[in-house]
Amino acid sequence: MDIGFLAQYLMNGLMLGMIYALVAVGFTLFFGVLDVIKFSHGDVLTVGAFAGLATFLGLEAAGISHPAIQILIVVIVSIVLIAALGAVIARTIVLPIRSAPPLNTLLITLMLGTVLREAVRLFYPQGANPQPFPALLPTNSLTLGNFNLRLDNVIMLVAGVAVIVGTQLLLNRTKLGLAIRAVAQDEETARTMGVNFTLIVLITFALGSGLAAFAGLMNGLYYNEINFGMGLLLGAIGFSSAIVGGLGNIYGAILGGFLFAGLQTIGAVALPFASAYKDVFAFGVIIAIMAWRPTGLIQEKISERV
Amino acid sequence: MNAARKTKRARAGSPAAARKKKAEAAVMMSAEKLTKRFGGVVALDSLELELRQGEILGLIGPNGSGKTTFFNVVTGIYPANDGHVRFDGADITNASPQSVYHAGIARTFQRSRLSLPLSIFDNIMIGNHARLNQGLWFNLISRAAFKQEFEESFETARELVHIFDAPLADRMFDPVAGLPMIDRRRIEICRALISQPKLLLLDEPSAGMTHEETAQLMDDILEVRGRMEGLSIIIVEHEMGVIERITERCVVLNFGRKIAEGTFKQISNDREVQEAYLGIE
Amino acid sequence: MNSGEKQTPATLWPALAGTALTIVYVILLLKVESQTEVIGLLVVGALAILATSWSGHLARAGQALTHHESILHLLVIFGALVIIGFFREDHFTLLLLTTVMLYVLATLGLNLQFGYAGVLNFAGASFFGIGGYTAAVLGAHTPVPDLLIILAGGVMAALIGSILLLPVLRTRGHYAAVVTIAFALLFKVFLEVNDILGGPQGLQVPGMEMFGWKFNNNIEIGALELSFYVNYLIVILLVLIAAFALVRRLERSWVGLNLDALRLDETAATCFGLNIVRWKVTAFLLGNFLIGIAGALSGMVIGFVAPTSFTFADSLILVSIVLLGGIGNVWGLVLATAIVVIIPEKLQAIQEYRFLLYAAMVMLMLLFRPEGLLPRPVRHYFPGWRPK
Repeated sequence: MDIGFLAQYLMNGLMLGMIYALVAVGFTLFFGVLDVIKFSHGDVLTVGAFAGLATFLGLEAAGISHPAIQILIVVIVSIVLIAALGAVIARTIVLPIRSAPPLNTLLITLMLGTVLREAVRLFYPQGANPQPFPALLPTNSLTLGNFNLRLDNVIMLVAGVAVIVGTQLLLNRTKLGLAIRAVAQDEETARTMGVNFTLIVLITFALGSGLAAFAGLMNGLYYNEINFGMGLLLGAIGFSSAIVGGLGNIYGAILGGFLFAGLQTIGAVALPFASAYKDVFAFGVIIAIMAWRPTGLIQEKISERV
Repeated sequence: MNAARKTKRARAGSPAAARKKKAEAAVMMSAEKLTKRFGGVVALDSLELELRQGEILGLIGPNGSGKTTFFNVVTGIYPANDGHVRFDGADITNASPQSVYHAGIARTFQRSRLSLPLSIFDNIMIGNHARLNQGLWFNLISRAAFKQEFEESFETARELVHIFDAPLADRMFDPVAGLPMIDRRRIEICRALISQPKLLLLDEPSAGMTHEETAQLMDDILEVRGRMEGLSIIIVEHEMGVIERITERCVVLNFGRKIAEGTFKQISNDREVQEAYLGIE
Repeated sequence: MNSGEKQTPATLWPALAGTALTIVYVILLLKVESQTEVIGLLVVGALAILATSWSGHLARAGQALTHHESILHLLVIFGALVIIGFFREDHFTLLLLTTVMLYVLATLGLNLQFGYAGVLNFAGASFFGIGGYTAAVLGAHTPVPDLLIILAGGVMAALIGSILLLPVLRTRGHYAAVVTIAFALLFKVFLEVNDILGGPQGLQVPGMEMFGWKFNNNIEIGALELSFYVNYLIVILLVLIAAFALVRRLERSWVGLNLDALRLDETAATCFGLNIVRWKVTAFLLGNFLIGIAGALSGMVIGFVAPTSFTFADSLILVSIVLLGGIGNVWGLVLATAIVVIIPEKLQAIQEYRFLLYAAMVMLMLLFRPEGLLPRPVRHYFPGWRPK
């Protein structure tokens, strides 16, 4: 296989990895502060992508057609809306049952995901069909042999890296990040130190959901199409990535995201006659990893008091 | 009621006489250089401990001194880093919890670990695992044989509960969730005793109960021991009244090391023990 | 079951009357077509349940029947036969009834895993599908008798499920969830891209044939003509009775106790000698076996299998039924399946919204009544048994 194809696969893998990592970081953030799995995360992403699309259509209708302004407004509206949605979900659904068995949280958020997914399918105009997503970024490209380097992909990759680094800085360098980490370490101690627990949880959920909205837009821009069911698979992949990386560990989540994308890409390259099996291969490897390392590659520290 | 309590206490016999008799009894369990580390923390530090058959040994020490860790290492929940545990002539170091139980050690937990939605009877039967037929054919197909075993087990369990609290024995199919702490403690002890273990490990049985309730529970434990020939007990407890009343000998731990050993009187006069408890350097 | 004779038959009358009314109600609900009638009936049903539970009649009737379980079982079988008999020519309603019964069968298996042993399985529909595809392949390409094919469906589901044993046994909680979720997604993609198994179009499943009797032919007894679905319903009813008895006995034995013990507190259970691996494996394999059997039967009744029937959303519906009914309660499964399957079929207005409504229903249930519609009662090893 020639180098151009490989570069194409690499680029593709990086894009997917970035999207997966953004989703996985959300899972890991939620788990960090509340020890819960919010399985509706993938469908929150879908809502984010559709909110972005609706905003774009609204802008078109209002006659605002400058691409830079369009992308800016689409990104801001989508992220702000979805961050608010995440906080509302945390407030009304996740916090009230946090003392229930963890399984209940998992189930209730799975069901919430179904509600969101079905709501998009039923209530978005023509929501049951895939919707074309506009190319809001410049699509100029540079062709090197078989390799086609598109400018929009480069912009997205850079933006993705910036968002992940920004999140990292927010968590490690700011007072807010300190509060989030304090809550993740030990809720009781954080409370006694004067941290407003509920507020921090809501902010964390808003942050994680905002990341999902960003990932949803990236996904739409990359594939130029979105559909109501996209969040299910992305959510499952993000969840698997966060788990494989070791829940509660942000680097683990990023690692897990790129690992999954890597597996899919390897699946597509290495199984040339059966590249359709790339997802089967990737999920199969995830199951194998769970059998090998039951709490992920970067081990979660579990100490049960007996 | 009070009269009954008194006769119970009388039957338990004088501690001094019992102590004398036990001194000649065989060693039931021993720990040799038992060590357990969690990362850099040494929870058990070359612990040496011996328990004779039929003895009641108190295991005391400040919080975090390694008492519960000792139970968890003996029962196979945590692997030991070094040293040995011998029980009834066999080496059970790092044996699985299942085989420790089958060897004849049963325990209670610091934070009562009953299965709350299940009935009293169910909870006690969990402890009876070794004596119940676990075959699929027996359980699913030969229902007549199963019924016989069920009825026999029910009688045994009922009698045991009856020793602790007669009214409770009439409520064997009530869920545990609705019961007060003292009844839960009783059931937990019944769950541990139903398999007729040779060694009973009690982890803070008085936690969450009043003095009055604790005293009652201790009377019941002594009565049961009177009925079960050769049952040895190790009890972890913060309530010094309990330790004084029911133990024949005490071992004091601090930072995973044994710092004193002897009767309650001896250890309570021990300078190092006082320092450990009062935190004097 | 044979004790408790001292209870006079008089106390059973309200229960018998209640059962008769329930049968009539179900028949009416299945019979009516107009949407206002359906809504009216649902309202009447809900009001009747509220009124009788408020007056205490419902609890008393329930108590009487749990004390006389054999009577309850006879009544339910009788009721099922009456309903089948009533709709003997109505293909649509009979197919709906087979769906209900097969879902009950599948959720019995899920209940073993999740309700008793606490082993999460978010791939129920996949194992259902394995049963269906097994029936398709064996039915079309081998002369294996159909009765064995049904069993083979269960065996295949258990066998393929055993690939997951290692990760399922080693992981707990969220980590265990990811294993079965990954499998559910993997399975659907696999079916779609696999040409041998028909790809997205799926496969035809030959109809059942037993002792020369073709199940896909309508039955004619003199002037009486019965829909061919009656054939299937009788077989499915028999299988369901057997599975129900098996699960019930299992629950009311030391095995059921072991499963509860390991679900509620694994650490405590090991300290009392329980072999966690043995019982988790038993529950997982037996559960998948039942789900696989249901899938094989389903494939034969419907006549084809396709990937779209075995999605993650379908697995979630199975889990929803167990949760709605009341985790661990077998009668709860029957009630919840009836609600989840029948109401959206009858109420066309909500059919399009059914996934949304199921999900919302389960959310409300988890928030406000996590024990489910029929909370599981404390175990009685022999109902009506009294200590001597």
